[in-house]
Amino acid sequence: MPVNLALGHVSTDFLIAALVIYSLSVVAFAGDFAFGRPRRAASAATGQQARQRAGALASVGAAAAAPAVPPAPSAPPASSPPSAPAAPSAPGSAAPDSMPEVAVPPLRAIRQAGGWVQTALALSAVGVVAHTVAVVTRGLAVHRAPWGNMYEFVTALTCVAAIFFLFVMIKYRAWALGVFVMGAVVVALGLAETLIYTAAGQLVPALQSYWLDIHVTAMTLATGIFFVAAVLGVVYLAADRSARRVAAGRAESGNGILRRLPSIEQIDRLTYRTVMFGFPVWTFGVIAGAIWADQAWGRYWGWDPVETWAFITWVLYAAFLHARATAGWRGRRAHYIQLLGFASLMFNILVVQVFIAGLHSYAGVS
Amino acid sequence: MTDVRAPEADPFESAAEPGEQGPRNRDPASGKLGLADWLKWGWRQLTSMRIALVLLFLLALGSVPGSILPQEGTDPGGVQQYFASHPALAPWLNHLGLFNVFAAPWFAAVYLLLFASLVGCVVPRTFRLAGSARTLPPRAPRHLTRLPRSAEYQTTLTPAVAAEVAATVLAGHGFRLRRPDGDGEYWVSAEKGYLREVGNLLFHLALLGVLVSVALGGLFGYKADRLLVQGTTFADTQSALDEWYPGRFVSAADLGPFTITLNRFDASYITSGAQRGQPSSFDAQISYTAHPGGPVRNDRLEVNRPLSVDGAKVYLIGHGYAPVFKVTDSRGQVVYDQATPFISGASGNFLSQGVVKVSGAQPEQLGFTGVFVPTAVMVGGVLESAFPAADNPVVSLLAYAGNLGLNDGVPQSVYQLNTAAMRQLTSAPQLLLPGQSLKLPDGQGTIAFTGYVPWASLTITHDPGQLPALICGLAALGGLLLSFMVRRRRVFVRARASGQGNGAPDEAHSTVQIGGLARTDASGGFEDEFASLAAELRSAHSQHEGE
Repeated sequence: MPVNLALGHVSTDFLIAALVIYSLSVVAFAGDFAFGRPRRAASAATGQQARQRAGALASVGAAAAAPAVPPAPSAPPASSPPSAPAAPSAPGSAAPDSMPEVAVPPLRAIRQAGGWVQTALALSAVGVVAHTVAVVTRGLAVHRAPWGNMYEFVTALTCVAAIFFLFVMIKYRAWALGVFVMGAVVVALGLAETLIYTAAGQLVPALQSYWLDIHVTAMTLATGIFFVAAVLGVVYLAADRSARRVAAGRAESGNGILRRLPSIEQIDRLTYRTVMFGFPVWTFGVIAGAIWADQAWGRYWGWDPVETWAFITWVLYAAFLHARATAGWRGRRAHYIQLLGFASLMFNILVVQVFIAGLHSYAGVS
Repeated sequence: MTDVRAPEADPFESAAEPGEQGPRNRDPASGKLGLADWLKWGWRQLTSMRIALVLLFLLALGSVPGSILPQEGTDPGGVQQYFASHPALAPWLNHLGLFNVFAAPWFAAVYLLLFASLVGCVVPRTFRLAGSARTLPPRAPRHLTRLPRSAEYQTTLTPAVAAEVAATVLAGHGFRLRRPDGDGEYWVSAEKGYLREVGNLLFHLALLGVLVSVALGGLFGYKADRLLVQGTTFADTQSALDEWYPGRFVSAADLGPFTITLNRFDASYITSGAQRGQPSSFDAQISYTAHPGGPVRNDRLEVNRPLSVDGAKVYLIGHGYAPVFKVTDSRGQVVYDQATPFISGASGNFLSQGVVKVSGAQPEQLGFTGVFVPTAVMVGGVLESAFPAADNPVVSLLAYAGNLGLNDGVPQSVYQLNTAAMRQLTSAPQLLLPGQSLKLPDGQGTIAFTGYVPWASLTITHDPGQLPALICGLAALGGLLLSFMVRRRRVFVRARASGQGNGAPDEAHSTVQIGGLARTDASGGFEDEFASLAAELRSAHSQHEGE
């Protein structure tokens, strides 16, 4: 079937619209940093520390103890202060009931977060819609899954990253991280649009297979998710570095940006969960790729350069997941491993597929 | 990842790291170390998570040269080229096995150590899992409010009834329960999520299975290549194959006796736009028999659509042009009349090179090196191909006469002409259109370019490890999902008579405490599960109050 060029142009227009809207949402996220409501980071951190200490008393690792969500500002202090005795507090009278607080529903939490956050989230959502329309119309224009060359791949993976992070921001109230992740999406999308734009076109026969769709779809999803994890990892390292400088007395603790971020532990946990979400998808993508390779080339694994780097990426993310459970490797070191994993993923896409000859040289970049 | 247990540190039987201490701590009395101590120490180190991490890094690092340097397995020509362009460096790299990384002993050492570490970690854990599946959850701690998650409320039920109701609710959620053994206390211990550890074990064991499957394929499988000109037939025997790479335990007798005829090959290309010249489809029409004398079946081979025959798979890998030449020697006899496969080189659009060797020509043997151009255009006096389809086919030939050197005992490539003992007959390449012929000087004869046919290259593989590898891969994925999505958690409920402690027991009122902890809550959500469970327990209790 011939390529529908008109629809291809519609796709490009929507993509540019998405880019503009995303940029505005980044401005709004930044505006929240500059002018938004104060975030009572201190009270949340106190509550969390209390829980962690309680957790330590109950001889459980911190991983199980800390909550993912800071208590709402209006909520009473953490349900179990470290020193609380188990017996009723006042003799002769029953202890007051203490039930675990139910998390504030996302919409109310967003309303409480202030106008800048609302604007930024709304813009992100509109941008995601425009971005999705761009990807879908591209697919309709070329009559196939719209991730057949590098330009389409970057477009699709940033779409995945934006959708996934929008979900994360709402579910985990992580809008303080929006300026970083959406900013990275804008940069990646902008670079794709200016440097590697490829007009809508057909694919070579080796790429005409439904296993391609499955394989590359999984790889696109995983890359989008790992993209979010990488940005979170960078934020983690920056926050961790600053916290250590403060602890060493080499910096003032009054850094406005860091005060507004979630706690280091929360960023760490969010990153970990993101990688845990992406890793099985990546694993599935590698398996689907092996099935495709078997049908196209007569072997399911042949250490083709791209396969080798997909393996390296898999090993590094596996190392991150293990490192987080290894004494002495948690925190900073684990995040360096994670970023190394993402670097190998980017190296695979940007360098190996373009410059190293192999069976995967389909990037369509000239 | 080790079996060193720290029962005080973690309520779940778990994975503490081994200390930094060496083996001497194992035997403080004598101060001397036996071999057994060292072995034990080494094994503990090997199976520690830290060493596993280091091995994972080495595995990743070791793979890098395999993608940057040309490899024997995937690109033997590239290796030769590398030797030619880096004569000093290449032998050293070769000594280190860097041209065949994934078969190198050091690479094998890394992954075998990693798998040994994995086994050393997984096997004890399997036993521990089996053990913990048999033992009940621990007794409820005394002070449940000290657990990471806790709740507390009053009920008018007696402690015994309150505990009973709680047990019913928790059992309904699939928790394993433990009740006090008549010590005058009222509590319920509940545990759930054993599948997490099962998934974790399944993942690691399945990875081991993948390795075994790959080894199976390497030992009992084979791969072969065959170039087949349209209209010709070949039988799957060792002598008929161009290349044959058998596994260690495979002999020529293991080859399937099928035959394949290439009836017709078609390739089509995009004719306009930015992608002009890119292939849009390949289609090889074949007929085959699974065994000699068997029924002839017709089928089509396409890219991504292999043929399964006789336990082997046949893939369409490449294609090209085979110009047909007819050579008449000085006596006027036709000494050569066949399609000769030409191989397309790096320059695009199927500009292909090949040679014609006419060993039967008299008085001297004849040889030709040629270039086949499917769509010939002259660009600045150089012949180039403008399109991969044969729209304006031209061959350009250089003729030689002399001794082809076929009887030297050294095997020759059919794509190379050894001109050491030959002299060039034509001073410049001669262009021929289909149907044209070239008269050789000195009455040596003529060569006619009578036409061309396409050829297809086939790869034949047999890999008994393929299906096991797929199954193990999917099992690994399933185990991964299980271990990520299931969390192992404990919930304790304790009911006490209210007023206990100030000497005024009021048996009809109880304080209910609920405590919960998750061992690993990586995917999150235990706080929500606990909150809704606590709410459910409370409403169950107030329902019973009304009865």
